[in-house]
Amino acid sequence: MSKIGVFICHCGENISATVDVERVAREIGGMEGVAHAIDYKYMCSDPGQTFIKEAVKKYDLDGVVVGACSPRMHEPTFRRACAEAGLNPYLCEMANLREHCSWVHEKGEETTEKAIDLVKMLVEKVKKNNPLESIKVPVTKRALVIGGGIAGIQASLDIANTGHKVILIERDPSIGGHMSQLSETFPTLDCSQCILTPRMVEVAQHPNIKLYTYAELESLEGFIGNFTAKIRLKAKSVNYSTCTGCGACIQKCPVKKIPSEFNAGLGTRTAIYVPFPQAVPNKPVIDRVNCNYYKRGACKICEKTCQVGSIEWDKEDEIISEEVGAVVLATGFDVKGTDFFPEYGYGKYKDVLTGLQFERLASASGPTFGEIRRPSDGAIPKKIVFIACAGSRDPAKGIPYCSKICCMYTAKHAMLYQHKVHDGESTVFYMDIRAGGKNYEEFVRRAIEEDTVNYVRGRVARVYEKNGKLIVKGVDTLLGGEQVEIEADMVVLATAGVANCGSEQLAQKLHVSYDPYHFFAEAHPKLKPVETNTAGIFLAGACQAPKDIPETVGMASGAAVKVAALFSNNELVREPIIAVVNRLAPPLYSTCVGCFMCETACPYNAIEHEEIKARDGSLIRTIARVNSGLCQGCGTCVAFCRSKSIDIQGYTNEQVYAEVMSLLND
Amino acid sequence: MEKLRERAAAILADGTVSLVIGYEEGTKRPRPLFCHDGESARKLIFDSRCFHNLAVYLTKKELVGNGRFAVTATISTLRSIMQLYVENQLSEDKLLILTVDLSGTLREFVTFDEISAYVEQFELKRSEREQAILTRIEGMTREERWNFWQEEMSHCFKCYACRSACPLCYCTKCVVEVNRPQWINPWPAPVANMEWHINRAMHMVGRCTACGACGDACPVGIPIDLITRKMMEDMAPEFGYIPGLPVKKGNALSTWKLDDREQFIR
Ligand SMILES: Cc1cc2nc3c(=O)[nH]c(=O)nc-3n(C[C@H](O)[C@H](O)[C@H](O)COP(=O)(O)OP(=O)(O)OC[C@H]3O[C@@H](n4cnc5c(N)ncnc54)[C@H](O)[C@@H]3O)c2cc1C
Ligand code: SF4
Ligand code: SF4
Ligand code: SF4
Ligand code: SF4
Repeated sequence: MSKIGVFICHCGENISATVDVERVAREIGGMEGVAHAIDYKYMCSDPGQTFIKEAVKKYDLDGVVVGACSPRMHEPTFRRACAEAGLNPYLCEMANLREHCSWVHEKGEETTEKAIDLVKMLVEKVKKNNPLESIKVPVTKRALVIGGGIAGIQASLDIANTGHKVILIERDPSIGGHMSQLSETFPTLDCSQCILTPRMVEVAQHPNIKLYTYAELESLEGFIGNFTAKIRLKAKSVNYSTCTGCGACIQKCPVKKIPSEFNAGLGTRTAIYVPFPQAVPNKPVIDRVNCNYYKRGACKICEKTCQVGSIEWDKEDEIISEEVGAVVLATGFDVKGTDFFPEYGYGKYKDVLTGLQFERLASASGPTFGEIRRPSDGAIPKKIVFIACAGSRDPAKGIPYCSKICCMYTAKHAMLYQHKVHDGESTVFYMDIRAGGKNYEEFVRRAIEEDTVNYVRGRVARVYEKNGKLIVKGVDTLLGGEQVEIEADMVVLATAGVANCGSEQLAQKLHVSYDPYHFFAEAHPKLKPVETNTAGIFLAGACQAPKDIPETVGMASGAAVKVAALFSNNELVREPIIAVVNRLAPPLYSTCVGCFMCETACPYNAIEHEEIKARDGSLIRTIARVNSGLCQGCGTCVAFCRSKSIDIQGYTNEQVYAEVMSLLND
Repeated sequence: MEKLRERAAAILADGTVSLVIGYEEGTKRPRPLFCHDGESARKLIFDSRCFHNLAVYLTKKELVGNGRFAVTATISTLRSIMQLYVENQLSEDKLLILTVDLSGTLREFVTFDEISAYVEQFELKRSEREQAILTRIEGMTREERWNFWQEEMSHCFKCYACRSACPLCYCTKCVVEVNRPQWINPWPAPVANMEWHINRAMHMVGRCTACGACGDACPVGIPIDLITRKMMEDMAPEFGYIPGLPVKKGNALSTWKLDDREQFIR
């Protein structure tokens, strides 16, 4: 028969004020299989724990139930005490008499009876408990960072500076992301490139960082501490080990009219190109879609110009494999184009721009060398209208959320314009101004008060072109909905920040969740903002939701610390609360029939196929096996297995059944 | 039919397969026939009276052995075969399908894609009997329905003929035999019967291909096939697929995809 010890805690008065703890101990003491039951003021205190340890030895207990607070609070405490007394820690369970009983009920007979029931359930469960061993998994101390925007750059540097190796992959030919496209940054108006470029160079030169540009993740397999990443290195057509980055090929390339991605379509680039002068690495790639040679089979002018013979026409994409222990996702965001807005001309008016395009106009490295000029005729606009919340906060457009950065960069844009065009007139249409952040409100006030930007609260219904002017029709809601019409030379839309293209597919490759807008989902909106619900994969920056640079950098450092903490262990110790598929003696081997419904149900891809083979190597059966590194113990598979072949260790069907029956049987 | 016999004898003779499962004339209706040689293949028949679902034998290792085998399949059998494939119970290299199409031509399928393409041409319709009972049940209130089934199931004496007849009941240990813990009481009694039947129904959602074999097998005539059939009819429009039709791995309830309809959730 079992010898269970039961310890009821008063929790000061937290429990004993409403529950008759002595009666609980007395009645439980009379249960079959209970060898010892007491109550005490503070079970978690030193003397309390000593009671448990001594009882384990004195009564040779084979199970312990502590009726106290939440196991979230003190399960580790009591399990450790049991372990110290020589009892397997997983033979110790807690009944939550505080959150589940005393705190939520009035003092009274029924409250005490509920407490008795709660303890009784656990006593019946513990009778069926088995000793378990915690699981140890080795950790590969190398991180994979996906995306080389400021988030990926910061995370890579922080991890690398803790002494661990980092593999950084960037889809584009250069790292830098959106920040490299910005002119000056709110709230201090410092030049974006000037603060970013040193970090980009640091990444390239850091001995612990291996940078792959023009590369994408092909697949990720494995689990926390033990991932295998397959990375596609897209063919650059240029041999980087010999290329000196002289740029002669770029000068000579005859295909010059390709819209430049870096300049958000406002400038052009060649087919062999470096996206921008400060690019890292500063070596070109050939855009095979637009290159004459790949299109028609003739040209090769770049090859003739190249002094060192670096052009590699027949280079193919290469897939490499890297072992990593953790992944940081930092793939950033994108902004909607002007073509998303029928009411603002569907992108057909040249002088209706996105905020990102305006950044390029205002940037010294941009197509106009920092002068604000109209794309249509190169004239300096004298009247400019900024429209905030273009797409954002508009459920009808499928974007009900706030893009967070637009209020701030719109104020910045208006300010930059006023600084550059002194006799210019700027108007901002806004829904309301969201300037939460250190020095942000002051920044907006400066735009309004010192730079005399005209802020109009209201929406713009329509923009259309008339005699070379853009007619902006809106309302001023502060003036009682009065119609406003402005003849502008340029209109800038603060278009909504959206998830990067391909983020959904990437999330599926990594088995991380995403929200309805395809931003990656954090594990907990408050307490786990940089974790995903897949262990070992972390988030940084705007791939989780639109955010500004300070927040992005903070998040990246947060993710880096999580990675460093993970890498501070040689092995991971995990609770053995995972699923197992039963194994039996031959000829059955298992009651599992290999239907693999569990495999399709498991949200963590933890179910594997195990082939049972005869001595001669012939296949007898294929049955399910749980990968203990991947399994999170959620129990979904258990509910799906028709033959009840899977159990969660520590929460087996038998244990839970015993708990429930203890309530039904009296 | 002659062609079918010839072909069966031929593939047995040249060793393509070691077994052909088909039908032969029985006392009241055709019964299953297991041919290991050309001699027995001469007894094979295949016509509209053959509705025993032979798919039930395909997962029985002791019957089909380790080699390749052939089966003469009706549309119902093919649906079951597709579902068994989805549940990883059959592989193409072990199976050869023989069937006779509407024009009387002998057809042979080797791959699941071929089977799927063929089955897809046939609509899954209620038979007259099914239509009659289901319309009656659909007209009942919730309470009347519960009473109807309770009354029907009170006759069940747990012979498990339904389970043996169902091609999808291939578990080596059925949940009714699990005794640690004993989820379902083993004796026939009103509550214990409901435990069994509710469990069976649950295990069939998204899997039952509505072959009707279970109902046909029940010695006391409980129309249990209609429970699973109705569940399938209710499920199909919501999840956008019919078990036994498209090649979709997993189960309506075990998988989630962005393009699932599942309109009842939103
Ligand atoms: C118009 C505008 C003005 C702004 N002005 C300011 C400002 O003044 N101050 C401020 O604080 N913030 C500003 N922001 C916000 C700022 O741009 C973002 O906070 C910042 O860029 C977020 O960095 P990130 O690294 O998360 O994303 P990103 O900058 O988007 O970088 C993501 C990187 O990941 C790469 N990538 C994407 N997908 C993959 C993939 N599958 N595989 C590999 N690599 C991939 C991309 O190529 C890119 O290099 C502005 C934003 C806009 C749109
Ligand atoms: S659901 Fe059950 S029977 Fe099917 S493969 Fe998984 S463990 Fe095996
Ligand atoms: S318990 Fe959850 S995570 Fe573990 S194998 Fe089962 S379904 Fe997968
Ligand atoms: S109708 Fe009956 S026998 Fe046929 S698949 Fe459905 S449950 Fe099984
Ligand atoms: S065949 Fe009929 S009597 Fe037998 S177990 Fe099934 S439902 Fe019950």
